[in-house]
Amino acid sequence: MKAPPIPVPAEAGELRSTRPRRRRTLAKVPIYLMLALGAGFALIPFIWMVSTALKTPGQLFKFPPEWIPNPVAWTNFGEAWDALPFGAMVLNSLFVTTLAMVGELSSAAVVAYGFARFHFPFRNALFLLMLSTMMLPWVVTLIPGFLIWKQFGLINTFDPLTVGALFAWGPFYIFLLRQFFLGVSRDIEEAAIVDGANPVQVLWYVMLPLVRPVLLAVAVLSFQGNWNNFKGALIYLQEPLTRFTLPLGLQFFQATLSGGESPRWHLMMAMSTLMVIPVMVLFFLAQRQFIEGIQLGGVKG
Amino acid sequence: MPRIEWYAETLLRYAFVAAVIVGIMLLTYRGLVAVGVRRQTATGFALILPWFLGFLIWNLFPVAASLYLSLTNYNILQTPDFVGLANYDRLLNQDQQFWASLRLTMAYSAITVPLGLALALLAATLLNQGVRGVGLWRTLYYLPAVLPAFVTALLWRFMLLPTRSGLVNTATEPIWSLFGDNAPRWFLDPDTVLWGFVIMSFWGVFGANTVIMLAGLKNIPRDLYEAADVDGAGILPKFRHITLPQLTPTLFYLLIMGIIAGVQIFDIGLFVRVPRENFLNVYLYQQGFTFFNMGYASAIAWVMLVIILVLTLAVFRSSQAWVYYESEARR
Amino acid sequence: MHSGLMRIAGLTAAISLVATACASPGATPSRGAGASPTVAGASPTVTAAPPSQDAATPTQPAAQKVTYRLTTWAGEDESNELQELVLDEINASQSEFEIVHEPAPADYYTKLQTTLAGGTGADFMWLSQEYVAGYASRGALLDLTEPLKAIDSPAAAVDRYFPDVMSTALYQDHVYGLPWISQPVVLYYNPALFDAANIDYPDDTWDWDTFLTNAKALTKDTDGDGTPDQYGFSASGWPPVHMFIWQAGGDVISDDLKSSPIDSPEAIAGAEFYKSLIYNPECCPTEDTIAEQGFGEMFKAGTVAMFMGGASDTFESADGTVLDIGASVVPMGPTSRTTFAWTGSTVVNSTVENPELAVKALVALTDGIQHWKIVSPNMDLATKEVVTASLPDKWKDQKGPQVEAILASTSDMRSFNVIPRQQEWDDLFWREFQDKLYHDQGTAADLAAAARTQLEALLPE
Repeated sequence: MKAPPIPVPAEAGELRSTRPRRRRTLAKVPIYLMLALGAGFALIPFIWMVSTALKTPGQLFKFPPEWIPNPVAWTNFGEAWDALPFGAMVLNSLFVTTLAMVGELSSAAVVAYGFARFHFPFRNALFLLMLSTMMLPWVVTLIPGFLIWKQFGLINTFDPLTVGALFAWGPFYIFLLRQFFLGVSRDIEEAAIVDGANPVQVLWYVMLPLVRPVLLAVAVLSFQGNWNNFKGALIYLQEPLTRFTLPLGLQFFQATLSGGESPRWHLMMAMSTLMVIPVMVLFFLAQRQFIEGIQLGGVKG
Repeated sequence: MPRIEWYAETLLRYAFVAAVIVGIMLLTYRGLVAVGVRRQTATGFALILPWFLGFLIWNLFPVAASLYLSLTNYNILQTPDFVGLANYDRLLNQDQQFWASLRLTMAYSAITVPLGLALALLAATLLNQGVRGVGLWRTLYYLPAVLPAFVTALLWRFMLLPTRSGLVNTATEPIWSLFGDNAPRWFLDPDTVLWGFVIMSFWGVFGANTVIMLAGLKNIPRDLYEAADVDGAGILPKFRHITLPQLTPTLFYLLIMGIIAGVQIFDIGLFVRVPRENFLNVYLYQQGFTFFNMGYASAIAWVMLVIILVLTLAVFRSSQAWVYYESEARR
Repeated sequence: MHSGLMRIAGLTAAISLVATACASPGATPSRGAGASPTVAGASPTVTAAPPSQDAATPTQPAAQKVTYRLTTWAGEDESNELQELVLDEINASQSEFEIVHEPAPADYYTKLQTTLAGGTGADFMWLSQEYVAGYASRGALLDLTEPLKAIDSPAAAVDRYFPDVMSTALYQDHVYGLPWISQPVVLYYNPALFDAANIDYPDDTWDWDTFLTNAKALTKDTDGDGTPDQYGFSASGWPPVHMFIWQAGGDVISDDLKSSPIDSPEAIAGAEFYKSLIYNPECCPTEDTIAEQGFGEMFKAGTVAMFMGGASDTFESADGTVLDIGASVVPMGPTSRTTFAWTGSTVVNSTVENPELAVKALVALTDGIQHWKIVSPNMDLATKEVVTASLPDKWKDQKGPQVEAILASTSDMRSFNVIPRQQEWDDLFWREFQDKLYHDQGTAADLAAAARTQLEALLPE
């Protein structure tokens, strides 16, 4: 049975019922109910987060809990935004994320192509080796990694967060892309080679367009990962404030806010909401490709 | 403006490194071909070079370095002091906190992974019943996975407060009073900390797993079901003999990923205050970065690595028995 | 395990943050008399500096001015104050060096570790008292003993510091840092709640019994729902239990750093008194309530009548109103009225360039900070005039009346005896003793005896 690598038709695999239409629809009501329950579970914390972000401290601990605060404290967002050079941080985050994404994508594509289409000794062993690096706890590599960058004098620059991407540091992306390359029919590829294309051209003009959904998925995942990258920024970005990326700026602010035992929840939630918006916007825009990419990775895995 | 300088400098070095990598790739190719290696092989090696270089520098060296460090006392500020297996001895024989953290981490993984898979399977099956707006449902379910761990931890810390402003306890109050128990105090009570983490983390990844599982379901060829229908099979047998076996590759993938992520869980543990033990990775972090015991922390890291390897190997081995690949039809 | 340390770290950070509020931005530097040439009011400073700067620069090539990097845990507000009130002045008036501030309010000590490890550590660093011994013993800090002797400035006069505060910056009798603040813990109270309950304000006649009785009397269920809405006092890991152990005549680490006598009868008495307070709904909020609302916040919100805080703590309500808060010395214990002195020092990286100049810069920096913070660790500056003068306008009404109690506390204040492995010791002390004690997992005597051996294993040989 062939399993095409590109979006699967929706009907395959459904448990089709043979009962009359009306009863089928009725039977689906409990299904919708359960689905709604699950969706509610997923959504409610988000709503609560935004709701809390709009409360004043006095409203935070009211009982019973209020969903829509009255009055709405839009100023929390203003307060959160003004407290730090968020504008600069957003730009820094964008810069770092873009460079890292481009680096990750291109190097992952190249390496995946190598693993997928070419035979060489130790190929499988090397591939497994690559996979196994996913199991390395980051703390193992933290200090030695830091020392390496220090040798090059690149602490407190954006380099550790971006240049490293050129070395295909995302085993998962390589894995995913390889799976898809494996699924591409060889005919087109061979036609291109016969026409005199070198491997790079084949990759660029033939392979990549055929796996566009995955590329997009990897791109969105990569964006998400780099945008939210906190540990890297914490270690490598030191001063001044205008050099920080968003997650680090957020932490800075958190430390300022959480005096004593409990954080100032309303401001924390306001900040979190602000920070999460870009990723969510991106997600909504690209969700179809994104989700299909994830799905297919799971299938191929 | 200073910021433009920073960007420019990094960009320059970025481009330089990219050029160097490409250069090395070309050289490798030419060099290999020159010594008579087949073009295919040479190209293959050249293409995987970026990863391989990265592996040497960012994986192999640090791993070797950390293995060495685990055999020393190293406080970062002074040169390491070789102590042989002393760290491992102390870790495995005398460190109660290590074992407590390990128990918490393994319990967490043992609960979260299967629970996540089972419920994701349920949700995916539901979604696969020809419901309308599958795309919308999928998006809604996936949404929690988009948040950074930091935000998720804070949000749930707030929602799981055992006081009246804690959404979860307030909303589920009828259940607790029904059982005559006090509502759990989640992160304030050492016995319920585990469940707090399970809920928090489950919320975060449930949707992602569902989406993957759904794809797996959709990939099952329809004619298998139709053949079963012809034979008069009911829903449950169809599930048992068609759906599950066909899903095993997906389950396998999710299981491996789940184990790796579960044992290494860190971010959410770091942002929540717990009364006693935290996750193993957080304990490691504390040993290395709060107590200056980098050597000891490296030993913990290696133990963690071994655990992950053992578990994944076990799953890999067992997969021969229960994972069914279309391409290797056993029937 | 994480939480004990976090508590102390978080609370020391909190105190330092609150400490900054005593000199809010916008307040012109109305400092007391001191060695800093920038005193004497704002305008003379401003007009004086540029000419000397202009005069200086032509004679010196720009490259000569050494830049020193200072790293602190200061959050946004404190950073701004540090810059405006201290650093700008120093940099404007000094020709040989300038100091640049690099704040790291999140995971400060982690950053410190990694930067020191990577050789990119800052030149000057703030260390809370529990850290100096550790870093000094590992060779990370510059020995300041000799260089300080060559500098003539109040901030360099080591013997003019409160001895119990200066001791935190010593390691094996050598000076490794200069304290820039010494905050004795005082008892703050909400006069309105006392008036409503018809109880006299706390004063120096109070002892443990009076304190406990009144705390209970001030804990009320005002809306009749079965749970208290107002509490007499609040405690969690703060104030440090050490304070009460000292007041009872015991200690947790002996002065010679050779033992941890936490199972002595005196220490047990202190610990048990603390236990009778913490999380006890008769007088204090429960753990859950504190996790939700923060006991500092509760005090500011007027739901808690008494709070033990550092001398420079300031209190304003959520909407920014300056509150009416009184201060008194802490209640008298069985043998003394010892209170805890929160202190931090600025230390110098042992790899700093031009050590002599660095120490000079350190002294200038310390002097500046000592004029900004309440209370200066320098005994000569711990006077009513200096402290009152350094109060920013916003807080004059609130803290002015508190100065007396604050200064009275300085004669009873002391700090911890610190060992190099202090962080591990603190973690163990919390986890194996305090946490278990407060959660009813054993008697103080049993827990102390069990924990003592483990604690003593961490003491230096």
